[in-house]
Amino acid sequence: MTALFATLTEPLVRKNPITLQILGICSALAVTTSLDTALTMSVSLTVVVVLAAGIVSLIRKHIPNSIRLIVQIVIVASLVIVIDQVLQAFFFDISQRLSVFVSLITTNCLVLGRTESFARSNPPLPAMADALGNGLGYSLVLCLIGAIRELIGKGALLGYQVLPTTDTGGWFTPLPLMLLAPSAFFLLGGLVWAIRSIRPEQADAPEFPAPEVAETRQ
Amino acid sequence: MIRGLWDRETIALMLLAAMLPMGASWLIAGGLEAAGRLLFFLVVAGIWHVLWMLARAQPPSFAGALTALAIAMLAPEDLGLFALLLGTSFGVVMAELAFGGWGRNVLNPATIALAFLGFSYPAAPWPELPVQLGWAAWPAAAIGVVFGVTSLRLLAGAALGFAAAMLAGLDLTAVWTAALVALMLLVCDPVASAATGLGRWLNGLLYALLVALFAVFWDTAAPVQAAVSAALLTSLAAPLLDEFAIALWLVRRKRLG
Repeated sequence: MTALFATLTEPLVRKNPITLQILGICSALAVTTSLDTALTMSVSLTVVVVLAAGIVSLIRKHIPNSIRLIVQIVIVASLVIVIDQVLQAFFFDISQRLSVFVSLITTNCLVLGRTESFARSNPPLPAMADALGNGLGYSLVLCLIGAIRELIGKGALLGYQVLPTTDTGGWFTPLPLMLLAPSAFFLLGGLVWAIRSIRPEQADAPEFPAPEVAETRQ
Repeated sequence: MIRGLWDRETIALMLLAAMLPMGASWLIAGGLEAAGRLLFFLVVAGIWHVLWMLARAQPPSFAGALTALAIAMLAPEDLGLFALLLGTSFGVVMAELAFGGWGRNVLNPATIALAFLGFSYPAAPWPELPVQLGWAAWPAAAIGVVFGVTSLRLLAGAALGFAAAMLAGLDLTAVWTAALVALMLLVCDPVASAATGLGRWLNGLLYALLVALFAVFWDTAAPVQAAVSAALLTSLAAPLLDEFAIALWLVRRKRLG
């Protein structure tokens, strides 16, 4: 039970798929202009990755090794189509704003990474716990960045005006840059920086030693 | 004294001395308000340099004053204190200090801060530079070249580009001042510009051609905006120009055996 709990909680911060492995950032950058799209994307991806991990893990002894990627992609793609249809049926507005990115969950490195590296060689329960943990880790980063971008870019959260903007007589001047793609890179980079400062074991080894100069010598 | 007098801070001070003519004429034209503006940016950049010295043992540099001067002269007007604080901090921290301090940065921190402010607050008007600032850029270039901190090749490349644009019949009168000031303050930064001989020629040439392009075809751009955008694109291309120059040199060396 503790092992299962560890599998679930490890990917939240310590082995977070986005900030440690830099996986799945294309969608993380694209859908985080507001919190509601980020939330929808997080839920969709988490559902897909958990179900895909469960199914792949169930039939793991029957998948021929040579076509395993094809089988995994077919399973993931089928789930993505279901999710996409559900979104279009019940959340049409958000599904329009997410446009192609829900369908692109199929090619998200995070989903395929978990089914290929973990679910393929583990029983269903740990596989689904691992997938859920990774999905939640992805969701955590997405919601954090989505919330920051919407709050600073529009002064709103989930569409509700939290900070009164100067247009409506308030004091807050929105920063439209936050709604453009580069700001997602800045925020994600800053987040990775912050996490690796707190947990130095995550930092990459330096590629070469910095040159010794007089200014830095004691 | 291992390397004599010429360490990083000497170069920063020489650059600062080269910028004095422009800084002085800008202060005379702008008066007390300009002085206050400059002081604000000096304090913000200084605080960040000191913070990084305390946190990372990174030696602070007089280059911070260069950054502050460039931002004070070229930043959009009518921005709130918070916006200026954010833009300056972004440029100084993300473009310079995070890379290990002045000399290890890839892009000029002032260029990044200005681009950040320009993209963040597109409605804020860009400053109208007084015309004497453009003339003050000439002694600035002369001092820089004499003391060896400004590349003559880069300036010659820019001159070539401007001459070509004028021969082609393009009207550059509106952007002269901004183009020269941005050339001295942003493009000629010895750290962020190209480092090879040919690369520097191309660097200057590219800047001049981009300024001419923006001046003619970018109708809505203010002169300073066009010059800063050209400086940003040029400094992004600088490593590529160096790469090109080195590849060319390798090919020639191979052919000559």
